[in-house]
Amino acid sequence: MRRPDRNGQCYLWVKGETGQGIQGFLRSIKLLRCGSRLTYNSDQRIWMPTTNTFDPPVRWDLRTGPANSATLIFEGDLDANSTPSAWAKLDVALAGTRFSSLEIDVSGLSFCDSAGLALLYHISSGGMTPNAAVRLNGLNAELQHLFQSYSAQDLRALQAHEPARTSLPEEVGSATWAWLVDLRQQIDFIGEVTVSLLAGLFQPRLMRWSEVMRVFEVAGVNALPIVSLLTFLVGMVIAFESAQPLAQLGAQVFVANLLGLVMSRELGPVMAAIMLAGRSGSAFAAELGTMKVNEEINALRTMGLSPVRFLVVPRIMAGVLLAPVLTIFAMYAGLLGGVPVLIGLGFPLRMVLRQVQLGLHFGDLAEGLSKSIVFGLIVASVSCLRGLQTGEGPRAVGESTTRSVVSSILLIILADAVFAVVIYTLRS
Amino acid sequence: MNELPASLIKVRDLTIGYGERVVLENVNFEVRRGEVFAILGASGSGKSTLLKHMIGLLPPIRGEVLISGANIADAEGADKTRILRKFGVLYQGGALFGSLTAVENVRLPLDEFTELSDVAKDLIALSKLRLVGLESAATRLPADLSGGMQKRAAIARALALDPCILFLDEPSAGLDPITSAGLDALIRGLAGGLGITFVVVTHELPSIFAIADRTIVLDPTTRSIAAEGAPAYLREHAPQQWVRQFLNREAA
Repeated sequence: MRRPDRNGQCYLWVKGETGQGIQGFLRSIKLLRCGSRLTYNSDQRIWMPTTNTFDPPVRWDLRTGPANSATLIFEGDLDANSTPSAWAKLDVALAGTRFSSLEIDVSGLSFCDSAGLALLYHISSGGMTPNAAVRLNGLNAELQHLFQSYSAQDLRALQAHEPARTSLPEEVGSATWAWLVDLRQQIDFIGEVTVSLLAGLFQPRLMRWSEVMRVFEVAGVNALPIVSLLTFLVGMVIAFESAQPLAQLGAQVFVANLLGLVMSRELGPVMAAIMLAGRSGSAFAAELGTMKVNEEINALRTMGLSPVRFLVVPRIMAGVLLAPVLTIFAMYAGLLGGVPVLIGLGFPLRMVLRQVQLGLHFGDLAEGLSKSIVFGLIVASVSCLRGLQTGEGPRAVGESTTRSVVSSILLIILADAVFAVVIYTLRS
Repeated sequence: MNELPASLIKVRDLTIGYGERVVLENVNFEVRRGEVFAILGASGSGKSTLLKHMIGLLPPIRGEVLISGANIADAEGADKTRILRKFGVLYQGGALFGSLTAVENVRLPLDEFTELSDVAKDLIALSKLRLVGLESAATRLPADLSGGMQKRAAIARALALDPCILFLDEPSAGLDPITSAGLDALIRGLAGGLGITFVVVTHELPSIFAIADRTIVLDPTTRSIAAEGAPAYLREHAPQQWVRQFLNREAA
């Protein structure tokens, strides 16, 4: 093996006879360090590294003197690569020594970086020979300047520092307080939104319709493909899953009725609302959160403009308008997803459509659409509120986005449950 | 601190821009080892864009940037890491990681690129913080630091792996004059004491006269370098009148 050339490559010639373990050597070559000399151990029948051909990057010599004194002489390069092993070896070499004085001579070092200086500082501050008086000689002026920036006092202060911990009662108290503050902000927000929304409806010129249309397009029209695809697949799965148990009752044809009812009453509005929360609600929260971090919200306030009227109301209006549209697409896509399954089960298309027509009533559609309006209102307002509640820094934007999605989905399911109870009561 | 050629950075026939829009065309200059080199120009002249190309964040349209003879735009994998280890960058806002304390921010490159012990890494990180005068704020989060302190902590982080070059993007932006002067003194001290080469993008004239050995002035109309030399010399003797007016803070 020769020294690496200018490109950092070195060459290795392997010569041997059959049975000398060349294959095994080639497998173990990754264990060898550059510069290793190899010998063949005939007892173990393996090639093994023996001594280093090249000098290690840093060398030291520990010379003991009279009266428990010693001198540690460094040579070579003491850098971030060579320091870790030098540190470990010196730790072992100096452990248990009883020197009363130790002189470190670094005049032979050709290169030393911050890592090397950390080692020299550690030794000279008694980190390895606590009982010895240590003196460091031979540092050049540039390194001396850097060396002076090392401080055992700073290290002790850092090691003694413990992050502030709060007790359980403190945590419960602060969480309760945060919840109460959040509740108050929600009440304020609902009030402000209601006033601004009514003002916008009764005085349409106050509403920023161009912004409403922009949000409608971005959050609604652009979401149609993904909402349709998702509900199409859900419809397909429901048709497959319900076909088998209904077949046992001889009622497979009612898969179409079931699908129609489920998609129009429940899954259509809920799936569309969840997609709205995940795709557009999170975008609302992130957008308003970033605006808050960039002090754009403050800029609006100081211009005398209400952030709720200027930013929130157009988004809520767009959310309320686009949720039913998305829901209608979700309903149709879900039904379409079931059609190929039913055709595959042997039912003609006309029969499937007839069954859907028989099973569905205007009330089912009205139930789904009225739900979707409420869901749209929830998603848009909750997302905007979370966006406006964003704290300081980019991390806060991520947190408010997560909170917007979680809160929206939670409230959608809660509202859906309330709808189920109310509609059941009305029907019965 | 390594043995390096006199010209540490060579920018050759560099044409840069965003998509179709060319910002600077056929730019040539060199940065010498150990000097504080300032890139100066009016807002929108392409200073920060040039810096982003010099540190390899953006690919040039034509030309090359050589750092210690290696072309950063072409380098990949281990070669690119080797070039990146030669320099540190201070971004305009400091770009400290908000969830880490000041000392953890400085320790991060040491954790990722060295096999040093925890004590060694703490010693180095604290020494860098002491170099920039922030040893007492080591355990504070960036949000608890002032703007000037954040920039100094970011410089300490950039120094963690002993780079030979520091790129500073608008180091004095948003700082009060006293903090800004303190930062200038720190840059001069690091350049003089540690031999670090600085490339500073700024339009803060007091800073340039305080720290820069040489400067280039970018001309947004010709999309090229209008003048190159020592700032004090250019203030009096730049061939273009607008450059002299610019450096003397006179309205055209």
